[in-house]
Amino acid sequence: MRPEPVPFTLQLPDHFPAPVYDMSQNPLTVQGIALGRRLFYDPRLSRDSTVSCGFCHQQFAAFAHFDHPLSHGIDNRTGFRSVPGLFNLIWQKDFMWDGGVNHLEVQPLTPITDPNEMGEDLGRLINRLNADAKYRSLFSEAFGEGEINSQKLFRALAQFMATMNSFNSKYDSVVRKIPGAQFTLEEANGYRVFQEKCASCHKEPLFTDGSYRNNGLPYNQYLHDAGRMRVTGSTGDYLKFRVPSLRNVLKSPPYMHDGRFYDIFHVFDHYSTGIEQTPTVDPLVSKGIPLSVSEKRELYFFLNTLTDQGFITSKSLSEILIDN
Amino acid sequence: MKLQARLFFALCIVFMACKKEKQEQGTLLITFNNVVNGASLSLNTSSYTNSAGEAFTVSTFKYYISNITLTRLDNSQLQLPDGYYLVDESKPASKTIRIPAPKGEYRGFSFLVGVDSTRNVSGAQTDALDPVHGMFWSWNSGYIMARMEGTSPASGAAGQALTFHIGGFKGPYNAVRRVTLVSPISLTVNAERKPEVTVKADLYTWFSNPFQVKFQQTSTIHVPGKDAWRISENYSNMFRITDVTDL
Repeated sequence: MRPEPVPFTLQLPDHFPAPVYDMSQNPLTVQGIALGRRLFYDPRLSRDSTVSCGFCHQQFAAFAHFDHPLSHGIDNRTGFRSVPGLFNLIWQKDFMWDGGVNHLEVQPLTPITDPNEMGEDLGRLINRLNADAKYRSLFSEAFGEGEINSQKLFRALAQFMATMNSFNSKYDSVVRKIPGAQFTLEEANGYRVFQEKCASCHKEPLFTDGSYRNNGLPYNQYLHDAGRMRVTGSTGDYLKFRVPSLRNVLKSPPYMHDGRFYDIFHVFDHYSTGIEQTPTVDPLVSKGIPLSVSEKRELYFFLNTLTDQGFITSKSLSEILIDN
Repeated sequence: MKLQARLFFALCIVFMACKKEKQEQGTLLITFNNVVNGASLSLNTSSYTNSAGEAFTVSTFKYYISNITLTRLDNSQLQLPDGYYLVDESKPASKTIRIPAPKGEYRGFSFLVGVDSTRNVSGAQTDALDPVHGMFWSWNSGYIMARMEGTSPASGAAGQALTFHIGGFKGPYNAVRRVTLVSPISLTVNAERKPEVTVKADLYTWFSNPFQVKFQQTSTIHVPGKDAWRISENYSNMFRITDVTDL
């Protein structure tokens, strides 16, 4: 008889809303999370054993792909959107830049099977896991005896992803009134600019309202990306993309769904003076969001307080070398 | 002590009552017989003709059957517990589904062709609903309710391919269809009797009734929308009960 997996209690911040992901259906355990972490860093999830989830999702970049505008995959292939950072996923109701994936558990199916990313066939992957004595034993420890199936694979990954949470930045210490935590003058000014000009879409405390909007980016004629329209088929969703969280934003350039801006100041310039008018452009940005030189500088200092050093260096999320 | 004895006695009575109440269970067998315009379907080898006169072959043919209800003699509906079945022409065993059913006499049954919206939004599933069967869209979460692939000289797609992945579970083009079938004789289910019903599923209907589909114009559908919805309207007309063995 194997020992039962050990329940794991997730620390959740009291200044966040209730999570969207229903963990009662997939109770977190020490063994389940450890298995998910191993899977996340195992390149054998890809067709030619070269690309793991962690290959594109780098911890030091808040699990985005630092310095890469577009996603990379096997056979030197390139995707057509940038790699989103991974954190606070249990508060997210849908996934991908266009919201095409409706549940945390089925999200990994997309990069695993996408020919431009990991390019693997799900059936082949499940067979490979079942043929691996180490994985058979790890899956049994986490989910009980029996064949490994895709549900167990996805639930293990979801358990690990459920622990990728970022809510301990300087900003959080200030809003939670932790003794001694306070903004510098420039950070405080930047916070005011942010609340006045950015917060309606990048809503606190998650720094996104979870919506899809056209933020007036000039059309990228090389990628021909219709945005959310690709999923809904509705012309009203043309050029609309997810509003990303701004947490850890300074650690995860480049920016936008196609990684076109390498520097946060280019993003400020875009909102300030670069809006392109199209039928679906969001009314909140259509007139531009004027930012003075000093406001941009203050905004930069405020955004810096959203960097969660503990999260991007956490030992419990870091890469593990898999040699067996 | 006395109290305990009384309790024990009372519990015994309750349990006996429960036992008596327990519904006797039987099985209903449904065998799907896939055909094209009456001719039996054979994958990759035979050529067929659609209602527009275009020749085609079939390499893949599979569809979900779920949410089965039984119709009692008074026409009331009995909803059965969750059951999801993937009928796949390439896997003969999948074409007979065994449905646990309470004892009784039934006029017929109904089922969804496809997977209800709840299971489309509930994360990782197992068995027939496991995405390993190639019936789940990864770029736009949701099940492919029915899938037909093949070739036709009329197709303008690469390799003269025909690709019909029919899905979508919300909005005006929801492709989930309920099909109701009435049996020529009533179906008696009990511990001894297992009625076997043969249902003909005619692929010809996919491209003919009520919406004619010409491969020259439409050879690929792999997104939810109006085209997919039309095919689902068509295939909801493809089922007929042809045989009932009530033994």
